[in-house]
Amino acid sequence: MRIELRTETPEQTREVGGVLATFLGPRDTVILTGDLGAGKTTLVQGIGRGLGVEEHVASPTFTLVREYAGRLDVAHVDVYRLERIQDVMDLGLDELGGPDRVLLVEWGDAIEELLPGDRLVVELTTDGVSETRRIAIVPQGRSWAARWERLEQALAATGDALEGFAG
Amino acid sequence: MIVLGIETSTPQTSVALGTEQETLGKVSLAGAARQEFVTPVLEQLLTWTGLELGQVGGIAVGVGPGLFTGLRVGIETAKSLAQVLSIPIVGITSLDALAFSVRHTHKLIVAVIDGRRGETFYAVYRALPGGVVRGSDYEVATPDHLCAELEILPGELLAVGNGAILYRDQLAELGSRLEFASSIRAHPEAAALVELAVPRFLREDYDRLYDVTPMYLRRSDAEIAWDRRERGAGA
Repeated sequence: MRIELRTETPEQTREVGGVLATFLGPRDTVILTGDLGAGKTTLVQGIGRGLGVEEHVASPTFTLVREYAGRLDVAHVDVYRLERIQDVMDLGLDELGGPDRVLLVEWGDAIEELLPGDRLVVELTTDGVSETRRIAIVPQGRSWAARWERLEQALAATGDALEGFAG
Repeated sequence: MIVLGIETSTPQTSVALGTEQETLGKVSLAGAARQEFVTPVLEQLLTWTGLELGQVGGIAVGVGPGLFTGLRVGIETAKSLAQVLSIPIVGITSLDALAFSVRHTHKLIVAVIDGRRGETFYAVYRALPGGVVRGSDYEVATPDHLCAELEILPGELLAVGNGAILYRDQLAELGSRLEFASSIRAHPEAAALVELAVPRFLREDYDRLYDVTPMYLRRSDAEIAWDRRERGAGA
C-alpha cells in the first residue's frame, strides 16, 4: 500500500497535511522522512492546522520537541541533531503529551526501533530547485489498514484539486 | 537531621521531609506525571511543616529505573538544591524503595516498574531485619520474560509496583505462590527514600553530586544509523 502525490507549492503540501489530520486519532505516530528543506515541517504545519492548533508550528530542529494543543495534542519531534539512541530515549517520546496526543517525528525513519510499530510513514522528496514536492505515504502496522481506503479517497480528491495526484 | 526526599520515577510525583525518627510531611500526586509540581509541593510542605529550606541537611533522590522525563526533573531539582544548600545527596533506586515498602514478609519480593513500550524494570529482594537485600541485578524485560525468570525462583513471591499491577494477568500465570502487594504500594514513595537514606547520611556514605544520574537499563549507547542524514549532507 502506497499513496503518491505531487504538490507544487508549500500551501498544497499543507493541504495534504490537513487531509492526513482528519484521519489521525489518539496515540497515532507519523514519521516524516526527507532531506533538509523537503517540506517535513511544512507538512506538519498542515497537520497542525487540521487538528485545530492555533499556535504557529515551527521547526523543532533546535528545540528537539515542540508540543501543541488542538483537537488532539501534538508532539512534534525532530531527531536530526541527535547522535545516540540514548539521546532519543532522553526525549521520553513515550511520555510526551496526554493520552490524546499524536506523535509526529521528523527523520523518524532513523530511529524506527524506538517508535510504535503502528505508524504512517510520509516521505517527501524535492528536486532541490523547484517548489515541487513528491509525497509518498506508506502505512505500517494494522491500524492504518482499516483507514487506508478512505484516506486514499480523501487524498485523491485533494490530489485532483491540486492537479497533482500521481497514484 | 532533616532529609528531603524527591521521587519521580513513575507517574507519581512524591516529595517528603523526614528525620531518623519520623516523617514530618509528605505529598504524593498519583495519576499522571506532574514533575512540574516538585518545587511547588516542596514549598507547600515547608509552609505546612513550618520548616525552612536551610534546615534540610541531606537530599535523597529516586534515580529510577523509570520514566525519563520525571527522573530528569526530579534528579536535576535534587542536585540543584544539594549544590545551592551545600548539603550531601544520596541516590536510591525506585526498585529498592518499592521493595523496602513491603519488607515485612518472609516471601521473596519482586519489585516491578512499568518501563513503557511493553517492558518492565525489575529486581528481586529478600527481606532482612530492618530492610531488604537485593538478590538480582536490575533488569529490563518483557512481562513474558519476567514470568519465565520468576518461574525458576523457589518458594513464595510477593510482586510489588505499577508494573506488577499493569501485567497482573500475565504474572498470575505463576499461580497461587505469587501474591500481589496492595495497589497503594504501586509507586515508590519519597518517604521511603528518606527512611532508606537516613542511615547513609548518618554514616556519611554520600554520593558524589555528579555521580547521581538516572539509571538506564536499556541498551542505549548505540549510535543512530544516520546513513540518510550523511547522504543528505553531501547532496
